[in-house]
Amino acid sequence: MKRGDSLYRRLLAWLLIPLLALGGLMVLQAWVDARRTADRAFDRLLEAASLAIAEQVQWQDDRLWLDLPPAALDMLATDADERVFYSLVDREGRFITGNAELPGDERADAEAGDTLLFRDVDWHGMTLRQGVRRSRLEDWRLRERFEVRVAHSREGRDTLTYELLRANLAYILAMALVAIAVLVVAIRSALAPLTRLRRAIRARDPRTLAPLDLPLPRELAELRETLNELLARMRRVRANQERFIGDASHQLRTPLAGLSARAELALRQDDPARWRDALSAMQATSARTARLAMQLLSLTRLDNPEYRPEPAPLDLNDIARQAVRDHWASCHRRGIDLGVECAPHPVRAQGIDWQLQEALSNLIDNACRYGGRHITLRTQARPPLLEVEDDGPGIPESRRLLVLRPFHRGEEGGEGSGLGLAIVDSIARAHGARLELSQGANGHGLVVRLRFSEENP
Amino acid sequence: MIRPLSWLLLGLWSLAATAEETLHYPADPEAGTPQQLVIHAALDLPQARPLLEAFHRRHPRLELSYRNLTTLELHQRFLDAPDDADVVLSSAMPWQYHLANDGHALPLESDAARRWPAWAQWRGELFAFTFEPIVMVVHRELIERFGEVRSHGDLLALLDDHAEALAGRIVTYDPVRSGAGYTYAIEESRLSPRYWDLVSALGRARTVLVDTTGEMLEGLEQGRYLLGYNLLGSYVRDAVADKSDLIMVVPDDYALVTQRLAFIPRQAPHPEAGALFMEFLLSEEGQRVIAEQTHLGAMHPTLSGPGTADALREEVGDALRPIAIGPGLLATLDRLKREALLARWRREFQREVPSQR
Repeated sequence: MKRGDSLYRRLLAWLLIPLLALGGLMVLQAWVDARRTADRAFDRLLEAASLAIAEQVQWQDDRLWLDLPPAALDMLATDADERVFYSLVDREGRFITGNAELPGDERADAEAGDTLLFRDVDWHGMTLRQGVRRSRLEDWRLRERFEVRVAHSREGRDTLTYELLRANLAYILAMALVAIAVLVVAIRSALAPLTRLRRAIRARDPRTLAPLDLPLPRELAELRETLNELLARMRRVRANQERFIGDASHQLRTPLAGLSARAELALRQDDPARWRDALSAMQATSARTARLAMQLLSLTRLDNPEYRPEPAPLDLNDIARQAVRDHWASCHRRGIDLGVECAPHPVRAQGIDWQLQEALSNLIDNACRYGGRHITLRTQARPPLLEVEDDGPGIPESRRLLVLRPFHRGEEGGEGSGLGLAIVDSIARAHGARLELSQGANGHGLVVRLRFSEENP
Repeated sequence: MIRPLSWLLLGLWSLAATAEETLHYPADPEAGTPQQLVIHAALDLPQARPLLEAFHRRHPRLELSYRNLTTLELHQRFLDAPDDADVVLSSAMPWQYHLANDGHALPLESDAARRWPAWAQWRGELFAFTFEPIVMVVHRELIERFGEVRSHGDLLALLDDHAEALAGRIVTYDPVRSGAGYTYAIEESRLSPRYWDLVSALGRARTVLVDTTGEMLEGLEQGRYLLGYNLLGSYVRDAVADKSDLIMVVPDDYALVTQRLAFIPRQAPHPEAGALFMEFLLSEEGQRVIAEQTHLGAMHPTLSGPGTADALREEVGDALRPIAIGPGLLATLDRLKREALLARWRREFQREVPSQR
């Protein structure tokens, strides 16, 4: 089997890829969540530190004044030893004091109380988390506005983020492993009946055509039924073949046994005239046997599914005329009237020349054999058809299907092989044409009609 | 902006504004590929020399240039040319911290750095490698007249009781003019509000305010002062070693500890050599040199005995208060903070009303 073209792989891929994509999304979500949680926790530090600083801001000597509490800065550094920055900015955004001129935050003020804004900023190549507090002096009269900006580097936050993420990742990973394991087991068990079916087929005796009988899920049961139908058809085909072979050998044995008996009888005599009689009888028998063998051969050839010659466009009128030319002499000798009625225009059909000739010659032969005195070949353009009519005894309607089977003769004891109509039937089927048997125009005789399908131009 | 002011402050910090001093150790060509190492420091040569010699013995292939600068020059020089030095050492903790906080320091990735106590380093970028207590120096005459002074509490009581007798005989840093004095003032005021009682008591005793530890020691040696408050221990140890009438007192209620901070600049020209030196500073070997041949105070966790932090801890117990290496140091550099603190300091120092104690 080709790699990658396996049901198991297909199922696994189609289930695993979305699953993994989903897992990836979950990891991303977990990371975003962890980061947000860590930021929320650490933003409290920025908030507290900015508050501690804001509380120390006063108005002194006509300017903003800050007695910076060192603890406010210590607060911003956790175990991770973050870098710490702060600045105090007045109403107009002028730098009052601090260890870094941190950028401002453009976002609008809160509706009441102090405005607190947090965001990540890039500052001199460092990624910092900055907190901005906009506040006012709570003096007796003076309500001067000012802004405290604090910032620290992200190490503590990142550590917390990774801790949170690690816990989540372990959980997601465990879930993914369980899901994958369940998936693999599920697919295996779903595909198990297929393996069972394969084993059942492989374990069969190659000669047996008995139906498969094993319990399978619905989808595979359909496959099993289809297989069984195929097997049944094959059984029928084989039965037909066996019967045909049996009939054929029987048909060939009879004239051969006759020949042998006749020869033996003639050998016991001394009279050359007797020998001559015997030889002419033997010649007739062997000619009939040869014809029988030929018919068997052509029927086998027609039934061979491997042999499918390409149909070519041809004119049915030509076929009919040719058949009359071929048989006219022999019919004339036997006093049979053979005629042809062609359509005025060429009748186009797709077909195989020699097969149609064979069919017509079989039909003419049959008509002669079974007592026809007038045989008429007819063609018609719409629908394209070939017709052979005789004025013989005809075939009763009840037996018209039976006569199509090999070795079934119209009447017992006739001298025909019983293969003629079977051959015609095979040829009709090979051409996709319908073979119709009906009564002649005036109530007796037989009309055999090959009706080609309309699509054939 | 803090910059112009910090120049002023830094200038005041300097213990002795000496001319530029350098040491140079040539590379030994037989020891391997020569490499340069440039150290800029605010660490006097007598203290630095044993360290550098020991280091150069260990890595003779390095061509070592050492330049001793005042803390002001050091800071200025670093900002002017951050790609000059491979290691920057300074006792001006807030300034060193400020530089590292702004991202000027290169993290040191080594076992020594990872093993170094967390409280004595910052992000693996800034390392404290000495342990220098801030001490009082008491003249024997004072003990004879007024009894022992072992703590800040003792000092406050002494000043309250004998303000007149001691007038003009006490000396300490002027926080207005000295960066070190200002740093100690901030740290002490954070430790306890009683510091302000002490300041006003010092004010009543008309304490003399000077700029450097050296000046204080000089006055004490000459007998002009009976007590020096807030002197840098590492300098005092040297000075009192051969003077029987001066006694160094590490206060037993609390004693500030200042530490020298070292870092490798991000733009260091030879960062590998800088890392070698840093590792040596933090190694047991380097720290032993500090303990045995200098008065800087070794602080390697495995070292004990004279000249180590461990010995000091045994002496005064948990009274030691190392100045924390953290963002709190940035407050020291804040312009308004300084104005606020000094205003308060002046107010307390000049207060005439006797304290309510």
